[in-house]
Amino acid sequence: MNNRLRVLRAERAWSQQDLAERLEVSRQSVNAIETGRYDPSLPLAFKIADLFDMPIEAIFTNPAKEIGQ
Amino acid sequence: MAKQKLNPAQRRYMRRFIPAMTAYVVVLFACTWVAKQYDPHGAALFILSLLPALPLLAVLVVMGVYLAEEADEFIRARLVTAMLGGIGITLAFTTVWGFLENGGVVPHFATFLAFPLWCGSFGLTQCLLNLRDRLSGGWL
Repeated sequence: MNNRLRVLRAERAWSQQDLAERLEVSRQSVNAIETGRYDPSLPLAFKIADLFDMPIEAIFTNPAKEIGQ
Repeated sequence: MAKQKLNPAQRRYMRRFIPAMTAYVVVLFACTWVAKQYDPHGAALFILSLLPALPLLAVLVVMGVYLAEEADEFIRARLVTAMLGGIGITLAFTTVWGFLENGGVVPHFATFLAFPLWCGSFGLTQCLLNLRDRLSGGWL
């Protein structure tokens, strides 16, 4: 699933490790989510949204809408 | 790439896995030695033959507990995928081998080798997943 995680992280000058520690996940998880190789669970997606103080859909692209574009 | 630090669940896994494997090696050698020295029969032979399997059953439980305790959902999903890959390879190998054995063209495959075969297949699947990630631009 496409997302803006890398951009949001870069805006805050956080490394993948920094973000991983804030989310209490591994750096591999952050890398996998950023590169679209892994779709986070709903609880983790909410945790990411809370951390950036944004709604989930402002971070992750809705795949259904992406196909329609 | 920096060496990855183990998370708490992985540290607990290692603290359980290492004693279980050590127990397996010790019990296996001890049972082999006793069997050669005393040539047991009946119930004693049954117990002696069964004992080396018990630490390996403990290893299976340790792996299951680790899966349940791993808090990182991505690592957990990776492990489950690799374990399923291992099961697939093991079933494919034993199915083909079984038919070949039935035809008398290959020697007997001892079923206790299924567990190490699965462990190897599980590791191979993990390597393939890592390779796929590297080729697709990710790095772990």
